[in-house]
Amino acid sequence: MELFDCNCWYGVPTTPPLAPAETVDDLLGELGRAGIARALARNAAVWEESPEVGNALTSADCARDDRLEAAWGILPPHTGELGDVADFLDAMRAAGVRALWAYPAKHRYLLNATTMGGLLEEMQDRGIPLFLHRREMPGAQETYEVAERVLADFPRLHLVVVAHGSWGEDRLFRPMMARYPNFAVGTSRYELDGGIEDLCRALGPERLLFGTNFPETPMGGPMLTLLHAAISDGERALIAGGNLRRILEEVRL
Amino acid sequence: MINDTRLAEQFVAHGRVDDCPVIDTHAHFGPYQAIYFPRWRPDRVLDTMDRCNVRWLIMSGHAALVDTRRGNREVAEVIAAHPDRIRGYWVINPNYPEHMQRELDEFEAQAQIAGQASSASDTVGEPRSLPPFVGFKFHPGGAGVPLNDDRYRPALEYADARGLPVLSHTWAGKGMCSHVEVRDVAERFPNVRLLMGHAGYGDWVDSAQVARDHEHVYLELTAAYSVRGALEIMVEHAGSEKILFGTDHPWFDPHYGIGCILSAYMTDEDRRNILYRNAQRLFGLPLD
Repeated sequence: MELFDCNCWYGVPTTPPLAPAETVDDLLGELGRAGIARALARNAAVWEESPEVGNALTSADCARDDRLEAAWGILPPHTGELGDVADFLDAMRAAGVRALWAYPAKHRYLLNATTMGGLLEEMQDRGIPLFLHRREMPGAQETYEVAERVLADFPRLHLVVVAHGSWGEDRLFRPMMARYPNFAVGTSRYELDGGIEDLCRALGPERLLFGTNFPETPMGGPMLTLLHAAISDGERALIAGGNLRRILEEVRL
Repeated sequence: MINDTRLAEQFVAHGRVDDCPVIDTHAHFGPYQAIYFPRWRPDRVLDTMDRCNVRWLIMSGHAALVDTRRGNREVAEVIAAHPDRIRGYWVINPNYPEHMQRELDEFEAQAQIAGQASSASDTVGEPRSLPPFVGFKFHPGGAGVPLNDDRYRPALEYADARGLPVLSHTWAGKGMCSHVEVRDVAERFPNVRLLMGHAGYGDWVDSAQVARDHEHVYLELTAAYSVRGALEIMVEHAGSEKILFGTDHPWFDPHYGIGCILSAYMTDEDRRNILYRNAQRLFGLPLD
């Protein structure tokens, strides 16, 4: 079973985590120790500075090792920092980037159809996944309200909320999973005892993507939880990496 | 997979290690406000314990955080049904000082019943002879009453006189239940076995130093293990002999916390101290 981490990063944010991973080598070392085969990674500069800077750094660093795949940040096309939608898609195609992150709170824009509609429509049609970090917004309610607003307008979008809080959020995300076929959450903080098996039983294994939230969170917690969840090996393999591999393979740039 | 030590290799391969039992020193029972629990009923709790080789689980009632009279009795029934796997903390709510003496009397009665049972059946050292409740549980943040407030004093005096454990929720931020209030209580009630629930989450170094400075203060790991680097700070400043494993079960899967401990940079001896040795020594729970 191959583990494919959907949510890890490295770099030098303004406020470092307790145990930083400043370089891509730090990340690679921990992936090797944990035995995680692949990772969708990003440099902290994507959100701490700007995607204008962080996207290029991420691609340059991830090009050094086959285990890593770069994920980029987005900005509203109207201000042109990343070009218009066509320019941005061209850049993604040239760099082989197949996954995007939004930081609407940090980057001060509204993640909705008015601001991001052109890009979100393309992402929906092309199957490009969009990741939201739960801790980027002040609370759980805000995060899922933003996600719900996006999905109401783009119901086939692959939208993934990662690093949800240790106060369980099943009451928030399960109704959205029931309504939107491509809405998923990462497992990095899905610490709830029996949560994975219970969610698989209710909604299937396709709505969970293995992630570590490294370097904020130790890799072993989400790993051991998934490895010994009371689910079938087939379900486990999908959550471990199968779901993410399929999503990325189906991206049409 | 993480396989750089024997414990890591075994836990990854099997989810449990027969010669490494686990004692969960911070658990709860029953449903609660803002979270959905798939596994709070006793049969599911025991199933989880078996899957992870959790030999003992020490719980307080979620209901008792709201209504001590109902909640503590509810947990007493769970313990009575599973005396060789589960023990409890008797929840104290400082917002009802008029109930305090009654709560202490009921706690005392539970202990005396256990003592009578042990002398009558000549089973000293056996699980059934150990008191059902090992000590008290405080939640200063939930109650809105600082840990060193006088309203806790009757329970702390009772625990101090008997050397009982008190598990308190602790968290960063002075004025409620941080390392500052813990240090104050530890100095005034030095015989209390004071378990810092969540290890003073956020104030890692200061909290570890309180545990280092006071013989009977311990760092309990629930949720703290999920902060990468925190465990190494605790081991460095307090020593692995002062750290206890806990999960807030049914909140968190024990595998999650164990996995975090396997990721942390420490020895397997440190891990064994944390997972069961310290708690075995502190609570006197048999591991056979």
